[in-house]
Amino acid sequence: MTKLRNVAIVGFAQLPIVARDEHRMSSEMLYPAVREALAQVGVERDAIDYQISASTDYMDGRPFGFVSALDVMGSWPPRQDLHLEMDGTFAAYYAWIRMQADECDTAIVCGHGKTSEGEPDRVLGLQLDPYYQAALGLDATSTAALQASAYMARTGATDADLAAIAARNRSAGTKNPDAQVREAASAAGLQMSPWAVEPLRRGYVPPIGESATCLVLAAEGKAEKLCDKPVWIHGVDHRTEMQTLGARDLSRSASARFAAGKACAMAGIAGASAVDLAELHATNPAAELILCEALGLDPKAAKPAINPSGGAICGDPIMSTGLIRLGEVFRQLSGRAKDRAVAGAKKAIAHGTQGHALQHNIVWVLGSERRWS
Amino acid sequence: MNEPPKEPVKYVETTLHLPYHYVAGDYRAVQLRAFKDKKIIGSRCSKTGKVFIPPILNSPESFAPAEEFVEVADRGVVTTFCVVNIPVIGRSLEIPYVAASVALDGADISIFALIQECKAEDVRMGMRVEAVWKPDGERQGSHEDILHFRPTGEPDAPQEFYINRL
Repeated sequence: MTKLRNVAIVGFAQLPIVARDEHRMSSEMLYPAVREALAQVGVERDAIDYQISASTDYMDGRPFGFVSALDVMGSWPPRQDLHLEMDGTFAAYYAWIRMQADECDTAIVCGHGKTSEGEPDRVLGLQLDPYYQAALGLDATSTAALQASAYMARTGATDADLAAIAARNRSAGTKNPDAQVREAASAAGLQMSPWAVEPLRRGYVPPIGESATCLVLAAEGKAEKLCDKPVWIHGVDHRTEMQTLGARDLSRSASARFAAGKACAMAGIAGASAVDLAELHATNPAAELILCEALGLDPKAAKPAINPSGGAICGDPIMSTGLIRLGEVFRQLSGRAKDRAVAGAKKAIAHGTQGHALQHNIVWVLGSERRWS
Repeated sequence: MNEPPKEPVKYVETTLHLPYHYVAGDYRAVQLRAFKDKKIIGSRCSKTGKVFIPPILNSPESFAPAEEFVEVADRGVVTTFCVVNIPVIGRSLEIPYVAASVALDGADISIFALIQECKAEDVRMGMRVEAVWKPDGERQGSHEDILHFRPTGEPDAPQEFYINRL
């Protein structure tokens, strides 16, 4: 592997995920997150070279709503800016690329969106092709259910297996003050909940939730000055698959498997199971099982610990959910995870996804030490 | 119903229906409520003292909080404008009409405003205008509470009065 520039996460701020913030617009939720992130690294806005935000105007229902985010990101005097209509974890990837190209040394990466103001199922349905799939009225919960059915048919996984995964996440979520769902639930109890879309039960999928997030990235040389324990990026890769649901094997995630293989190779580790914890962007238990299979993780093993934050099942603020996985890994590896800390954690995986039924996957490998010397 | 189409299908019509239920936000809600009392509220930057309309959480320019509410006048000056000659769907205004930026007295940025009660060709930069409100009892706390702006007949403001508030 060619030597790359060491880049680290040095700060992360997140508003606790709520069902609906009645007092603030999307940009008004983002402002305190940006201020807190900058306060963590002890700089003013002019110390940041580059900014990138992740949101979708369809979610907020405000044409050019992403432009209003510029007002709260400290954009004046002008600096390089990019907006991405994808989860913030992919925005972080863009910032990492810009740092590899030596175009900037510091960046803020923001995710925001008022998920509660529109109808996310309708909005996410528009990601499908307009002629056949979207026209059916397919929504993201339904396509996730199709994927869950395909996985269960191939592997023989049962409703109880899904319930066990959901219960593990719910139990972990009780220790995460930023999670939206913080009440523990037993597998047996979750199995009693009604169908969201069969075979996914309401207890297996997150409620509608919203937040705002801001991650600070810095390259070696700057990172150490901004943070006492920078969390270094060791490897990253992302892969996408076809949009047409029928054109791929929904029971597996080929893109997650490829991305994990490439990211682990960049990180110089044998595989994903070599890390101490993994934060997976899985919004239902079947997706988590599919990702575990793709990454070569045992969902029942103690190490790596999977989703010590409670995962996306305990909170899914669309556009921030994947970025929160990166933020959680930062908190874990920099000693900020408090009650949910994984003891002695030195390396971790943060996964993010975009599109229906795990269409596009990104895998990050991070560590408490620098990757390249 | 099951007959295949006689002509090749060249396009399909897919109608989107996306409902939204907006939160105004506490800052804008203050402004909207004040419209009922014929008041226009902005917020002042804690660092530079600039006043923004509508009130906003922070100054985009200084990045400092702008949490102090201040009342500005319901009159001001046309800073720039355009003459609209194309009918807009859902608006029954007689064309041509004038859409203008108006810097209200006491505000550091301008708002968009409809100028009526004068000929389009008479509108000019620097012209003094005032808000025409809906009558008492009809104001709902919405942007529609201001029907439009109209000339006051006062002498025009000099350019330096509004050049930084376009």
